[in-house]
Amino acid sequence: MTMRIENHPILGDFEKGRLVKFYCDNRELQGYEGEPVAAALRAAGILVHRHTKKNAAPRGIFCAIGRCTDCVMVIDGKANIRTCVTPLVEGMQVQTQYGTAAKSECKQGELA
Amino acid sequence: MKRYDLIVVGAGPSGLSAAIEAAKYGLNVAVFDENTRPGGQLFKQVHKFFGSKEHKAKIRGFQIGQDLLAEAKALGVEVILNATVTGLFQDKEITVKIADAICHYKADSIIVATGAAENTVPFAGWTLPGVMGAGAAQTLMNLHGIKPGNKILMLGSGNVGLVVGYQLLQAGCELAALVDASPKVGGYGVHAAKLARAGVPFFLSHTIVQAKGNDHVTGVEIAQVDENWKVIPASKKYFEVDTICMAVGLSPMAQLINMAGAKMETNPQKGGCVPISNAYGETSLAGVFVAGDVAGVEEASSAMIEGHIAGVSAAAYLGFIGKEEQISRYKDLESSLCKLRQGMFSLENRGKVPSTTEEGYATANNLLYQGFCTEEEVLRFPGTTKQVGVHAVIECLQNIPCNPCQEACARHCIKIGEKITSLPSVDEEKTCSGCGMCVASCSGQAIFLVDESYADGYASVTMPYEFLPLPQVGEIGWALDRSGEAVCKTEVVQVKTSPVFDHTNLLTIKVPVDKAMSARFFKGGVFHAIHK
Repeated sequence: MTMRIENHPILGDFEKGRLVKFYCDNRELQGYEGEPVAAALRAAGILVHRHTKKNAAPRGIFCAIGRCTDCVMVIDGKANIRTCVTPLVEGMQVQTQYGTAAKSECKQGELA
Repeated sequence: MKRYDLIVVGAGPSGLSAAIEAAKYGLNVAVFDENTRPGGQLFKQVHKFFGSKEHKAKIRGFQIGQDLLAEAKALGVEVILNATVTGLFQDKEITVKIADAICHYKADSIIVATGAAENTVPFAGWTLPGVMGAGAAQTLMNLHGIKPGNKILMLGSGNVGLVVGYQLLQAGCELAALVDASPKVGGYGVHAAKLARAGVPFFLSHTIVQAKGNDHVTGVEIAQVDENWKVIPASKKYFEVDTICMAVGLSPMAQLINMAGAKMETNPQKGGCVPISNAYGETSLAGVFVAGDVAGVEEASSAMIEGHIAGVSAAAYLGFIGKEEQISRYKDLESSLCKLRQGMFSLENRGKVPSTTEEGYATANNLLYQGFCTEEEVLRFPGTTKQVGVHAVIECLQNIPCNPCQEACARHCIKIGEKITSLPSVDEEKTCSGCGMCVASCSGQAIFLVDESYADGYASVTMPYEFLPLPQVGEIGWALDRSGEAVCKTEVVQVKTSPVFDHTNLLTIKVPVDKAMSARFFKGGVFHAIHK
């Protein structure tokens, strides 16, 4: 089921940038340029942004305005990027975060 | 280091209003905001605002935001975005994080309008992806056009929970339940009634026991609470949902003004730790003012007036206007603010349950404790008459600050009077033209047109309708009552849309005469799908 609102009774159509490709854990996805990375991920059905170091507990969008830092991920190699306030750029490499590193790059034994 | 007469921190409703006011007196003003877009929360508000004309009533929040921005721009206000103010120091110097640099700016006066942040309540599973603030849901759907989830449970029956709950329906989400630990609805009855008649079940005196799911929310367990707020285990209920929204109040974001050294107080009525300020927005620091939610959590309409007050104060502090002009302008603004701060939901009445309205009508308790009014309650209020032919039925049963309906009626059928919190009454002596302007102008969507003499044995009911797809004339569906219960099959006989209605469509359905005072919502689609 699409999570994008096609026609809103009050707002009509949403103004979006051009449709671009980006990657989440090497999976090719599409989103609109300039929209928050978190929005593009939600539209793609990705809910888990990171896992906490201590309990490996999953975290996702919580405040959506850059306050809580729950939605941080590794973007283009940089950890702790707030995806809800970071505009999507074509070709962006987004990675699920574990602790403060990319989950896919954690060595065996580092994962809880 | 760049200098200004005034630096405003925060480009929300109060910050922009403050900048506009000050710029009008000739101050050179800069507004800093950490967000990509200005307007604060205004651009997420798709509902029509309350108040009166002077408070921009019946205009949708995002349009007010556009108006404020245009006005600020026309006055030469500099709005600097993606700029996080990280410090406010001696001699009114601020540090601002722009990209990866820290920049310094200085002004002769400062207005801190940093707003408020959402509160949360911890329950088992509350950190799971899918649990989010109601504001987060609002940001995703109304700013970015993304549904936060498909099936949602809302915690909190204050105005934020009710308004965002309704917006979720408008975005095409399903609202499984609205839950509040309090036995009564916290927000305006009219907001609750919109959800109830659309079929959203209310679970008051209930709380969330736990959110279920491994990687993300797949369900939620709620339970009733007793008079000591303890969960009654036997009352547990489970809902399959993918999202849980929390609307459990706001706290002032007073960190900046606090670190600047302003005297602070903890004031539960204002939402927590706030700077001590007077009616002019002055803090304990000379030339540093506050406005909006940071000074005490209220809503956007009062925040805008507080912004104007702080703007006047800054202009007077710097000598751009004299004491006399300041006081005269302040008095106008204060009177405007007072009008909003009256009625059943005013600060002084918060938490109290009045036994009657200001006019002496016994409180509509069903509305307060169930989220929808009964027919008996509607009939005994002054918004309902026994007129023959088409006439307005106003289901506005609480003293809330709002009066656009009074102005909407060209024939003066609707009267509120000077005090905008007074209940609207319908004048039986005057003849309704059936134009529907009152229906579209009511921010609470609480006005209906009823015509018991529509056709032999049939009445027509005209209701405000803000959903898509818009039903078509001839469409058959269910008429739902105020609780969302199906009362009869019905046919859509008229659909009116007009630019003056501002996206509130008027839907007229035909029902048997005995259902004229109970049918209040239309649900199209498959008949057997109605269970509630």
